[in-house]
Amino acid sequence: MAYEAVIGLEIHVQLNCDTKMFCDCPNRPGDRPNINTCPICLWMPGAIPQFSRNALEHAALTAMALNCTIQPESAFDQKVYYYPDLPKGFQLSQHHKPLARNGWLDITGEDGSPRHLRIHHVHMEEDVAKLVHETEGRTKISLVDFNRAGSPLVEIVTEPDMRSAYDAMEFLRILRRQIRYAGTAECSMDSGTMRCDANISIRPVGSSEMNTKVEVKNMNSVRAVGSAIDHEILRQTEELDAGRPIVLHTRLWDPDKNITTPMRGKFAGPCVPDPSVPAIVLTEEWVANIGSQLPEMPAQKQARFVSEYGLLDDEAAQMSAELDVAEYFEALAKQSIQPRTAAQWVASRLIPALREKGQQMAETTVTPERLATLLRMIEQDKITAKAARQVFDLMLDSDQSPESIVEEHGFSQIGESDELAAMLDSVLAEHADAVENYRNGKTEAAGFLVGQVMRVSKGKANPKLLREMLEARLAG
Amino acid sequence: MPVSDTLGVSVVNEDTFSFLNPASHAPAPEGPLADSQIAVQANLCVQGWPANAGSRALENFTALEDATVVERLHSAGASIAGFTRTSELAFGLDGDTSAAAVASSACDAALVTDTIGESRVAAAQARLFGFKPTAGTISRYGLIGLVPSMECLGVVARDVTTIAGILRAISGPDERDFSLGGEFPDFSAPDAATDTKTIAVIPQSLAGLDPEERDAFESALVVLRKAGARTTEAPVEDYDLLRTVHQAIGSTEASSSAGKYDSVRYGHRAAKADDWNEMYLKSREESFGPLVKSFLFQGAYFQFENYSAFENACRIRRRLVEALNKVLSESGLIALPTRKKNVPSDPAESVSQVYDRFALTLAANVAGLPAISVPGFVKADGEDLGLQLVASRLQDNRLLGYAARIATMHRGDL
Repeated sequence: MAYEAVIGLEIHVQLNCDTKMFCDCPNRPGDRPNINTCPICLWMPGAIPQFSRNALEHAALTAMALNCTIQPESAFDQKVYYYPDLPKGFQLSQHHKPLARNGWLDITGEDGSPRHLRIHHVHMEEDVAKLVHETEGRTKISLVDFNRAGSPLVEIVTEPDMRSAYDAMEFLRILRRQIRYAGTAECSMDSGTMRCDANISIRPVGSSEMNTKVEVKNMNSVRAVGSAIDHEILRQTEELDAGRPIVLHTRLWDPDKNITTPMRGKFAGPCVPDPSVPAIVLTEEWVANIGSQLPEMPAQKQARFVSEYGLLDDEAAQMSAELDVAEYFEALAKQSIQPRTAAQWVASRLIPALREKGQQMAETTVTPERLATLLRMIEQDKITAKAARQVFDLMLDSDQSPESIVEEHGFSQIGESDELAAMLDSVLAEHADAVENYRNGKTEAAGFLVGQVMRVSKGKANPKLLREMLEARLAG
Repeated sequence: MPVSDTLGVSVVNEDTFSFLNPASHAPAPEGPLADSQIAVQANLCVQGWPANAGSRALENFTALEDATVVERLHSAGASIAGFTRTSELAFGLDGDTSAAAVASSACDAALVTDTIGESRVAAAQARLFGFKPTAGTISRYGLIGLVPSMECLGVVARDVTTIAGILRAISGPDERDFSLGGEFPDFSAPDAATDTKTIAVIPQSLAGLDPEERDAFESALVVLRKAGARTTEAPVEDYDLLRTVHQAIGSTEASSSAGKYDSVRYGHRAAKADDWNEMYLKSREESFGPLVKSFLFQGAYFQFENYSAFENACRIRRRLVEALNKVLSESGLIALPTRKKNVPSDPAESVSQVYDRFALTLAANVAGLPAISVPGFVKADGEDLGLQLVASRLQDNRLLGYAARIATMHRGDL
């Protein structure tokens, strides 16, 4: 039987606030273990959580970047469970009254069609402590690091609108882009600042029923989410085809073996309202004020890049995909560089170079100002585009100005000069047959002759000028 | 030792206090409470003190910092006399010596966590004044609490002036406790509210009294009328559900609050366990006494098995709070006795027995209202049952003023 998958995601995002969610400790989980702690985040007797305004603002901005509606009233609940990473016996989370509801993201499906994927709600919660398992030595021990305890998180819960691994991966990429634009979180699955669990069920194609779902956890990259979903769809299909029913449970993705394995039965604890954290009542003014802090988002930016800079649609999409790329592109275009040239250089030279070096946009020595200087030298016919690419590669590893690199390495273009004329003369003498062909109407021979001069000039000749000179000479 | 037996007898400090302030003889600094000795229960953090809240679950726990109210008492010049003996997690009054400490003049006042009526009932038993302020006006930072939405630090003292002085020092906003309300009673004019009151009596609140107790309460009302008050009957529908509401919500919150006692960083730990889960279970089993254990079990039942009953209780609570507020908006005060007579002095054997003993006081906890127990008015069988007066939210100072006035008047009467 042909099945289709029904997929929903639960995504935890660690907000990049300066402090934790319920105390003033630094929100730096990676520091030396247990340095960023106080009686509140150690959950000592007598401590009372003090909800951070900054965490609320970050969470609200995040939810708004995902097109959610901020709720006028939300509240914290105690999610009760007992585990060594949670020595208070409950996690403060928003179960009954989440901060925001009814969001959505638009993606382009694998077949190129637009897909509108809904977000059920976004709620705030505190992170728990981190367990470090020491398995070497005679006695296995687990150490508890409270630096992460109380870190501000939002959890994004989608509707089951996704139908494929592709949908899910694309959703995650768009979600990450939106949040990075909002500037509220790093969203790196690699470093754990974004974590994703997938709920997957399958049903016969055409059916609208919701079947028993299986939750899959422990994916540490967007790609792994896709692989885990693909694997789980296959597994469930095989189960059903073999006549075995799907049982509600949780599975762990094993990235080394590319399989999912069942997890020990998860204990689902209750959620009761927390009496110590006051309800969060937000006025329309407050929400509007936070909304005004939302920067121009990717879709708007893309449209503006088309209208303001005359980029083609896919160029504009590429330039607006990431905030740092967009900012770089605009900075470059503002240096009076032809915008499409700027976009092409960013897309085809800068981004691949950074990827190869493992650098972020902010880390490169090729600032928009330096790149603009280089590109202006092409526009002014001082160097050829080919030479410029070589200069660019050298700029990646030095602070030297493009001009001095050109000078030092002799990349200057050979303009209308006796030198160029001499090169042309010797090529024409050497290839009398090609000259003959050209004169007999085979104009493609001109390209060959220009190429020969370029070779002799080691690429420094100006091809446009050369062609004019050639045509003038042969017309004579 | 039952509290009532100790009355009038000088009590040896070692019996009354589980921990005595090692520095209590240091000269008191300046301040409105200079030279005052105030006892606190072992569930209030005083830096470096063994704040075990009367439970093995906090065995060896040493407070890391001062509770906000302790800080404020210190800066007002008061000295903390020590920790009184405290019932487990300060729920109920089993073994509690706070009132005895005041009655024996070992201290000027005691702070008693009032979760179900403890400060008022303890005071009534010892013929003292016991006051529970409006919920959300006294910082709970540093209070090792159990039922956040019901509990409030109360004060037991020999006179109203002492209570008012302590409240002046400890009430008010605290940046460490966001659960406090935005408004606070004005304690600056201690005797402002001496005007004549209309006093409401809720007939359903007296349902559990025997004829003798009713008579005793009636004669108290006669005295109040003589003093110029008008009394009126104000029925409240479903008043008897207050007890169930308190128990459902109270036990649920307690189950959450006590979840942190896992024996890992402090507290009694079971000698042997195969894994962390068994260590939790065994340690908790060995730590809690039977009463707290059954209270926590009840809460876990609502959390895990019957959440809708908890939700119902929350809804009924809102309705009852509204009804009580309505009564108070029409009459300035509600009056009822603080306790019944012949309450056994031995520890409660069940949660239900605890609720029996506090049946008359728990309404103020459910509704977060200020309430005071005044001695000398309601006497049955030679026992003082206490006259309990309940006021509207934030009317703490008026309530204290009225209590002070009738106490003086009544003293003249004797």
